[in-house]
Amino acid sequence: MKKVRVAALLAAVATGILGFQAIQTPIHAASASAESALAHQADNQSPPNAGAESYARHCAICHGDQREGILPAFPPLIGIAHQKTGDQIAEIIHSGKGRMPGFPTLQSEELQALLHFLTSSAPSTPEATAGASAADSSALAEAGGSLFLQNCAFCHGRDAMGGESGPDLTQSELVLSDATGEKISAVVLSGRPANKMPVFKFSSHEIDSLVAFIRARTATAASQKGGRRGVAVADLQTGDAQAGMRYFNGAGGCAKCHSPSGDLAGIATRYKGLQLEERMLYPEDATSKVTVTLPSGQRISGTLAYLDEFTVGLRDKDGVYKSWSTKAVKYTVDSPVDAHVDMFSKYSDDDIHNLMAYIQTLR
Amino acid sequence: MKVVKDALVLAAGVLFLSLPGPCALRAQNLQNAQLLNPPADTWPLYHGDYSGRRHSKLTQITPQNVASLSLSWAFQTGQTAEIKASPLLVDGILYFTVPDNIWAIDARSGHQVWHYNRPATKGDHIGHRGVAMLKDWLYFTTPDDHLISLDAKDGAVRWDQVIADVDKGYWTTMAPLVVGNHVMVGSSGDMDNLPGLIRAFDAETGSPQWQWNSTPPTGTPNGTTGGMAWMTGTYDPQLNLTYWGTGNPTPVLNGTTRPGDNLYTCSIVAINPDTGKLAWAFQPSPHDTHDWDAVETPVLVDGNFHGHPRKMLMQASRNGYFFVLDRTNGKSLLTVPFGPVNWTLGVDAQGRPIPNPAKEPAPDGRLIAPDEGGLTNFRAPSFDPKTGLFIVDAHPSYSLYFAKPADGNYGWAGADYGLWGKGVIEAIDYQTGKIRWSHDVGKWGSGAGIMTTDSGLTIVGDGFGNLLALDTANGKTLWHVGTGAPIQSSPISYLLDGRQYIVTSSGGVLFAWALPQGMIAAKPAAKTSH
Repeated sequence: MKKVRVAALLAAVATGILGFQAIQTPIHAASASAESALAHQADNQSPPNAGAESYARHCAICHGDQREGILPAFPPLIGIAHQKTGDQIAEIIHSGKGRMPGFPTLQSEELQALLHFLTSSAPSTPEATAGASAADSSALAEAGGSLFLQNCAFCHGRDAMGGESGPDLTQSELVLSDATGEKISAVVLSGRPANKMPVFKFSSHEIDSLVAFIRARTATAASQKGGRRGVAVADLQTGDAQAGMRYFNGAGGCAKCHSPSGDLAGIATRYKGLQLEERMLYPEDATSKVTVTLPSGQRISGTLAYLDEFTVGLRDKDGVYKSWSTKAVKYTVDSPVDAHVDMFSKYSDDDIHNLMAYIQTLR
Repeated sequence: MKVVKDALVLAAGVLFLSLPGPCALRAQNLQNAQLLNPPADTWPLYHGDYSGRRHSKLTQITPQNVASLSLSWAFQTGQTAEIKASPLLVDGILYFTVPDNIWAIDARSGHQVWHYNRPATKGDHIGHRGVAMLKDWLYFTTPDDHLISLDAKDGAVRWDQVIADVDKGYWTTMAPLVVGNHVMVGSSGDMDNLPGLIRAFDAETGSPQWQWNSTPPTGTPNGTTGGMAWMTGTYDPQLNLTYWGTGNPTPVLNGTTRPGDNLYTCSIVAINPDTGKLAWAFQPSPHDTHDWDAVETPVLVDGNFHGHPRKMLMQASRNGYFFVLDRTNGKSLLTVPFGPVNWTLGVDAQGRPIPNPAKEPAPDGRLIAPDEGGLTNFRAPSFDPKTGLFIVDAHPSYSLYFAKPADGNYGWAGADYGLWGKGVIEAIDYQTGKIRWSHDVGKWGSGAGIMTTDSGLTIVGDGFGNLLALDTANGKTLWHVGTGAPIQSSPISYLLDGRQYIVTSSGGVLFAWALPQGMIAAKPAAKTSH
């Protein structure tokens, strides 16, 4: 059995990890035929475990013994009734979907029993279909937890409370302000290259499970007395604003480029806490200018868009991207933000805390 | 001998008439003698050989002809998991991994011979570093912390042993180290307060042989946990010692519950492969509070140090220091930073950096160099014997470290945020620690792992995904190609049919590079050992 299972998984995985299309059809009224099929099943009283036996024989190999799925490869079927009608499930069983094989010989009584099993047992009771019940969202969160552990935990911590290089998601403003899950979904699907967050090509169902897990973790974290990992605005109030102003205008050299009434006016209303301090030390979205001199002597200036040792690219004033081989042209980069890099070896921690106190007065 | 071999092949052919193709008749048989002295047509160990120098004796590809290097084939895993593995090459077959997956690839054509997949729902899938091999068997670790032995010819599982309990928080990414009949593995797991370990299993039967714990059991008063060994070690056959780096202590950023040096976390340890007994230890980061695992390759070099012949061990460590030790006893010969570091009060009499208590993570933050990823990390360094250069993928960087009582004393117990960093390939003179040349490889990013060759080439990558061939003498770029994604693995090289190949990866793609067939001299290159 074990050997067969491994072989089947191998065959399935070999056809591509993301072939399975997400189950995302909204719930409409189940079609008449499915309704009658289920009613027929209910009336005819097959052996009560016929559906479970059919599931174990045909489905469990990929979707798990308890319908929990084997993420990220195989979706859980718990709560399937919330997403698919009986007819839709039957269609998938017969024709397959993505890399799921079809089971066209699964017909009549066995099909009815299997549909009954998939749509009517504990995690998907009729009451649950009204909306996300506690039982259902916890099953979803559990599936999401498995996915999170494999893909996200190394950076964000197994409990989503921050870890190696990734922020505490339970305190993330984006997470806390994301009522629909759309913002989390966007970050997961698009990544954040500047912050080293990679792109994850999860299905919408997998995303839903991740969102459910992150929400569950946020709720747990909010109820904990200790163990929070993150930086509160209140943590960053140990500096002396007067000393910070002196540093700004003196040793720090900040005033050479910045002005409290100019570019920094109101900066502390736009950013706060750790985000403000990180921007103060190194504004990672700062742009650089580049001027390229062509062999003809023509000079082209723009915003530096790409630079490695072989290619220099810019966006000109019209936003058009142009690039040259670094061997073919001369170029000069004007990167004022490099002054921040030069300061790293000069700051004391007190300098940083004082400067932070001063910057926070620029409202 | 030839007659005997042919007779065996003939016999095998008669026995296995149904097997297709001549490949099926090849014996994939890797003996201990070949591990001790790898032939030029193999790359049979994670580092290429036991020394960890990742240096190839091959000289067909040279600084003069490398401009003609071209793609021989590419293999696509079709998966989003990045290849972080160092492939093995034995009898014309390449074996490489991503978490839960092994591929066996024909090194002549790049086509798949077999693929093994073991869906594991548990354990961290952060990366996988490759397999080990002995005789006809592969050894593979899994995210849920099993050690599995498989038949190299078809990937059939022979035995499956648990290394450590995934439900407690352990996982593995490592390529095992095979010495004699021992298959040695460590584990990862610093998100929980767990002791680190190295275990040996019988290469034939899989029975556990010994276990060495780097730290005392969880809950020991004033004791530390952690010290995970998660990178493949090296081995000196004459001294019969294996060398391993151990990881950070836990709780990670909060050191208050674990006073003292926290032995043997962030340590280089010498362990007898037959007994599992510790011969000596040296600690690059006493009482670490910045997640700076000292697991980077302990590179073994025999040579002259300040006028005396020495058996040395060199490590460019994540904490920013380059160490040269006498590997017979673990005594320090040199300790010097190889980039910006701001967390120490100097170096003590034993050659260990002295951590500055004022640079421990604090509620209002501390500016720390390097960042938590460190001045270098898992990407392999290389030692070039001709120039005496230790070449490392460095990451000068700054970050903010926070910890407060409310963060507790379990697992991470704090927070840290990278501010800025860049990638630089540095060539360190091991006699002095002076940087002979450096080669920028891009803002933010890291370069790739490094391999040097006897012809004077340094193969590496930049942070943009360019594969680079540098002149080892001066670090100048001689050849490059864009591969489409940053390179997360370390190069290997071997001879096949008289042609030298360099195998690299980026993203989920494996690339084999060689000179055009027409450029290669008609006479087959002599089989040399390296």
